[in-house]
Amino acid sequence: MASILKRSLLSPVQYLFPDRIGNAAVKLFSKKLIQELQETATDKFLELLLRAMDLSFCLSRSYRRNIKNFEGRYVFRTANNVVTAAATFANANMKVHEKEIDKWNVRITFKDAPALQAFLFSKNQDILDSILKNEVEVDGNLNYIHKFGFMARDLLRRLGVD
Amino acid sequence: MPNITFEDISLKEYGLTERVSKLRKIYFKTVPEICIERPRLITRFTLDNHFFNQNSISVLDKAGTYRYTLEHRLPIVQHNCAYDKDMRLFKFQEASLFGGSTTSKFKGVPLYPEFSALVLWPELWSISKRAGNPFHITDSEVEELNYDIFPHWIEKSIHELTRDELSKKKRLDQMKLFERLVFFLVSKPNCISHTIPDFSRAVKLGLREIIIEAETKKSETADASKKEFYSAIAEVLEGIITYSRNIASEAEKLSINEMDPVLKKELLNIAKVNRRVPEFSARSFREALTTIWICWTAVHLENPNVGLSLGRLDQVLYDFYKRDIDNGVINIQDAIELVCCLWLKIGDHVPTIPEAGEQLFGGTGSNQAITIGGIDTSRNDAVNDLTYVMLRATELMKLRDPNLNARYYSGVNTRSYLKRACEVNINTGATPAIHNDKAVISTLIQKGETVEQARDYGVIGCVEPGSNGRSYGHTGAILLNLASILELTLFNGRHRHTGMDLKINKEKETGDPAGFTKFEQFKNAFEKQANWIIKQVTELNNTFGQIHQKFYPTPILSSLFEGPMDKGKDLIQGGAVINSSGAAIIGLADVADSLSAIQKLVFEEMSITFADLIDAIEKNFEGYEELHTRLMNPDKTPKYGNEDPIADANVSWLVEFLDNAFNDKKNYRDGFYRVGYWTMTNHAGFGRLLKAMPNGRKDRENFASGITPVSGVTPCLTKALNSVAKLPNGCLSNGVALNLKYTPEDTDREKMLDNFAASVEGYFDDAGGSGNGGMEIQFNITNRETFVKAVKNPEKYPELLVRVSGYTAYFKDLNPQMQKEIIERTEYLLSTGKMVSYAPFPLSK
Repeated sequence: MASILKRSLLSPVQYLFPDRIGNAAVKLFSKKLIQELQETATDKFLELLLRAMDLSFCLSRSYRRNIKNFEGRYVFRTANNVVTAAATFANANMKVHEKEIDKWNVRITFKDAPALQAFLFSKNQDILDSILKNEVEVDGNLNYIHKFGFMARDLLRRLGVD
Repeated sequence: MPNITFEDISLKEYGLTERVSKLRKIYFKTVPEICIERPRLITRFTLDNHFFNQNSISVLDKAGTYRYTLEHRLPIVQHNCAYDKDMRLFKFQEASLFGGSTTSKFKGVPLYPEFSALVLWPELWSISKRAGNPFHITDSEVEELNYDIFPHWIEKSIHELTRDELSKKKRLDQMKLFERLVFFLVSKPNCISHTIPDFSRAVKLGLREIIIEAETKKSETADASKKEFYSAIAEVLEGIITYSRNIASEAEKLSINEMDPVLKKELLNIAKVNRRVPEFSARSFREALTTIWICWTAVHLENPNVGLSLGRLDQVLYDFYKRDIDNGVINIQDAIELVCCLWLKIGDHVPTIPEAGEQLFGGTGSNQAITIGGIDTSRNDAVNDLTYVMLRATELMKLRDPNLNARYYSGVNTRSYLKRACEVNINTGATPAIHNDKAVISTLIQKGETVEQARDYGVIGCVEPGSNGRSYGHTGAILLNLASILELTLFNGRHRHTGMDLKINKEKETGDPAGFTKFEQFKNAFEKQANWIIKQVTELNNTFGQIHQKFYPTPILSSLFEGPMDKGKDLIQGGAVINSSGAAIIGLADVADSLSAIQKLVFEEMSITFADLIDAIEKNFEGYEELHTRLMNPDKTPKYGNEDPIADANVSWLVEFLDNAFNDKKNYRDGFYRVGYWTMTNHAGFGRLLKAMPNGRKDRENFASGITPVSGVTPCLTKALNSVAKLPNGCLSNGVALNLKYTPEDTDREKMLDNFAASVEGYFDDAGGSGNGGMEIQFNITNRETFVKAVKNPEKYPELLVRVSGYTAYFKDLNPQMQKEIIERTEYLLSTGKMVSYAPFPLSK
């Protein structure tokens, strides 16, 4: 309900203001995410990332274009289930879930938040190391991960932390 | 020697022309640019024709897609801008003698969304800034790929279509093994590739004749699938003809505004040539080269270029060359210039490599092999003047692509030819690779090829032999990490990095080696683990092949191949005359030496228990320094490459076992698997994925390359060569790469050249037929100091060419691990035949 309300209230922004205003607003509300990206990711990292993406889809028309006609169901979880979240994309909207969903296209199981951060934003990271250390395991269609990876990095670019 | 007219076969009086020098300079200045023309056109046509909704794509639909793309792609005659390493745009006028290009860029990165282009998706915004081998891309191109192209292929790439199929078969575990990266790689998600088309018919008959032949065959058959296939052949050939005509029109258009009379004339020449070929038979050397070039761009349109190779060009083109020379149409300098221009065109694109791939396989080219020399199908000397023209062009250009391979048949080819091939190696530092005709031909015959087919072999990709234009061998289908099999044996089905427990014949384990009382027990366990992995990887490769058959037929390659026209069947369906699949084994020497260490120390001498050996490698030899010193000492522990009976027996056992294990498996085209030992850069990549081994190799260190003994443990060149040459050639049918490094000896070049040629002849010697003779050998002839300087100042050595394991690469493009491997390779001083010792080279962080 809160999500629908938020979307109803925020979505008009993207039509009223240019993208840079939307991006600035997302940046303003994503300080914690930016901090986690610049320092060490905590268990809150995934939630912050998904929420920032969700907000950006509401406020930025060009970012929202990423999910036009896109349908995808993602599950993110730690092996010990300390962190579990899901994101679904349909009808040009993103929905964040706080528990696992079924019929996912791709499921990412990660050791901890830094491992997920390294996997998604691997710049200057030893990608092979994370694969070898079994820090991230992907089940399902890898192209959905590639798509998500683009959107996540695109968000960072808009936040000015790429 | 009727085919040799040169008094000086080095042709040293001929240099680079001004045109080629300029083009070469631009070539080295340019960073690759991602080209989205192909994915744009392919996606548009696929959408418009609703192919995305189909459960399979027919060969005719595929042909329609390619014809549309060929007819609508930009017919570029002269590129006029590119980007430098700082991503700054610069202008130039490309005055090549050939029109057309693989992509719409001067040096392009072609994208194949139906294969693996989507792996680049996450890094599209950063790819122009990445540390290793960046690609230029514009913002609008990123947006078009992101919004309009890639989304359509999410469910339709070969990789994901195969995942769906494996899910239906309940064999997703095989995909999981593949995606772990540590056991094997299969290349079918990226391409089929790794073969040699038959250009001779295109050159001699022209594509119009082949279209007529296809139409005739279509009218003569009642078989609907054959009719469809022949229609598809006609369709794609019409597309290629139109593309060439479009180039002609563009050249004519450019000539109108060209003020320089020389350039104007050249443009009109391009127009004239491209109006004629490849539609009709070539009448001149230039027309024949243009036919090959235009067909080559079309082949790349269909399939990513991973080891697609051009075959025996000195044979296919010789008659045209000779006629033009005899008639005074061209002179030798003209011929060299034409070949140089073609060489540059062949290198006009680079493969799509994502960031993670750069860490594993950075620096790889497209591995487009060209073969020269050797014998003809009647066992006559096939070396001709054009062979020397091509050697000279290669020597002058020093390019990564094409990858030149010289065949040598001792006793038929002259020693002066061999010496010339060695001389070009000295002058380029790394090329050509030299292949032993006697050994290779014998190997191919043992695999069922006729004598004529075997004698007409060409080199594919890195080093793999395949009968020219008639053998579809997908020689790079499987890359198997042999050391991971040893790992599973040592740890009872567990892989230390991934912790994966594997099930073998429904049982988890092959036994704790600590409980083995005989070396044979360990070998049996190794066999079980290997057989299981080989079963998984061949079945997976076959499933990928079946998906290719269903969704990605290859009408363009089929139209330029011997077999499909007769059988009325696409290449991917088994249309070629010879059908096989290839596996390349990585880690042979390290595994063989590990077996020898286990045999000698644990089971024969009993100087260490298996449990202690396991503990030592678990601890990366920390606390086991004495053991490590012993393991690294070839006088105390058997090492392959020293004519040690234990070591040589173990490496022979391995290659015989692997050949049998793979030969047991059929591929999806009713052919068999062949095994080879070449590693590209995978011995560095896979090396990073494995911890310490019983031969003394430490955590994450490189494996030895190809079929080469481990670096630093083979002090005597002759013994090293003899050990390799002893291996049973019949088990090496997918090719081998023996990498040697010789110290440049500038004080007495002639003597070095003599010793060089003698080392090759000695290695190839089959002792009058009683022995084997080595199959292939390739070199790096650059001193260590230069390499070390190039690591520190790569920008000062942009053209430093090295032989990796199979293909050539620019040293600066290799990742640090691979640079270290090249630097640390065993180096021999030819004048003494002894190893030159250096301290280990530190890996930069």
